[in-house]
Amino acid sequence: MPKHHSDHRSSYNGKNFIILPIIFSVIILGSCFLYIMMSASTLISVASMFFSDTEMDFSEQYNNIFVPVAESSYEGGSSGGQETVAISSIKYPKVGEQFGELIIEDCQINDKLFFGDGNVELNNGVGIYNGSFVPGYGKTILIAGHNNTYFNGLKYAKKGQIVKIRTSYGNYQYEITDIQVKKATDTSAYDLAANYENLIMYTCYPFDELGLTPYRCFVYGKLVSGPIIDKNS
Amino acid sequence: MSKSKKRSTVKPILYSFLSFVLACTLFFMSLACIAKLTVFSRDFMLSAMSSEGYYAMVRDELRGELKNLGHASGLTDEFVDGFVDKIDIIKIENDYITAFYSGSNTLVDTTQFKQDLNAAIDEYVAEKGLNPDSVKEENVEYLVDSATSIYVNTVTIPFFSTFANFIYKYDTPLSVSIGGLALFAAVIICIIFFTNEYKHRRYRYLCYSTITATLCLAVIPTIVFASGYITKVNIATRALYNLFVSYFSSMFAQFYIFAAIFAVVSIILFIVFRRKYKKATGHH
Repeated sequence: MPKHHSDHRSSYNGKNFIILPIIFSVIILGSCFLYIMMSASTLISVASMFFSDTEMDFSEQYNNIFVPVAESSYEGGSSGGQETVAISSIKYPKVGEQFGELIIEDCQINDKLFFGDGNVELNNGVGIYNGSFVPGYGKTILIAGHNNTYFNGLKYAKKGQIVKIRTSYGNYQYEITDIQVKKATDTSAYDLAANYENLIMYTCYPFDELGLTPYRCFVYGKLVSGPIIDKNS
Repeated sequence: MSKSKKRSTVKPILYSFLSFVLACTLFFMSLACIAKLTVFSRDFMLSAMSSEGYYAMVRDELRGELKNLGHASGLTDEFVDGFVDKIDIIKIENDYITAFYSGSNTLVDTTQFKQDLNAAIDEYVAEKGLNPDSVKEENVEYLVDSATSIYVNTVTIPFFSTFANFIYKYDTPLSVSIGGLALFAAVIICIIFFTNEYKHRRYRYLCYSTITATLCLAVIPTIVFASGYITKVNIATRALYNLFVSYFSSMFAQFYIFAAIFAVVSIILFIVFRRKYKKATGHH
């Protein structure tokens, strides 16, 4: 019997061909892992921010949560027995959702109202800047729209005209109180921290001109009627 | 312990160690080769772009963004469609990628785009018979600048310029490293091959190394694909997202190709080992 026969019986059976490579692999990959974790942990933490839990959704479709309520809901008055709606009973819209309609009959405006003012929203209607608030919240409502499409009619806006906003939790009426043209960078045009309900609609100015302008047309409105959202309920 | 017994214990340990070193060398050489064939390869990038319809998606995204701009600036969707159709996206992207891999300027040349857009707007104004008062030069200039910015953002790949320097700088050292590692692997193979007393052992230790390389190379992409991280990347546009997924999926697929090559080599080595072993032990 040759002398190395018994020494390598296990090799012939193939066990070493499995065990040793596995041990080697664990050592190599383990060392690489430890080295990367120690030397590039910051980079890995930063890189993890570029990943989410779900796959990206590039759909241009929007969600519509708007369910009209009866027209009579416009009645209610802004003084005396003001109608309220509990915050727990309303579905606060997510960015990109259509949650209402904006109508200015005198300006021939009848648009879908979105929460958010990104491309999908402004390609389908007008949108509330998501740093402002929804109607009835008692704060600033800042609504944007393109001057060549959905807010083109704002060129006919005049003081005293009525702006109607219909939502699933109530219908609102605002009266236009002022129209101003300001620079796009002029932050005095709006006060997002205001503690009273005020409507601001804006679009690029002048209307019907070719090219982009640094000016914006701001149309201001005050609440006439509509349920106030009770934030404590 | 007798001297010969001591030698018979040390030798397997020594050759196992050499086997381990060879496995490391093969693994890192494979990583370097994969990097050379993917990250450092212009053709790999162009292949990923063309296979996933990247150019068509970039065109659609440019069209969509310019239409959005048109809604705010008085340009019709038809105008944007006609203008974007004339842009040679494939040539622009190829020039951009080629510049990137050759280490030259990775900025997209916007001169042609601006000239074409200005000419198209002039034509549009004349065709529509627009009132000159409604076409102010500064507003049109602002529009063209905004459109150019959209164009650059759409056709470029974020962070590529950051890596351009890296790619150009390390391309040659990477090739040298591959050569060095190959030479080192050859030396270890020679040591294992020519210093082993029994022929079958030569193949056994080489086989350990190739099996290890197979395992290491197969485990990495398996973990990456199983985690699903590639498809969960946050990228704002569909074109870039698809390019990212395609690029990295193809890159990690290369790991499997290298693993398969080592697996085949391992099988051959194992078969040879068994034959030699049987011959040496008198089994037929």
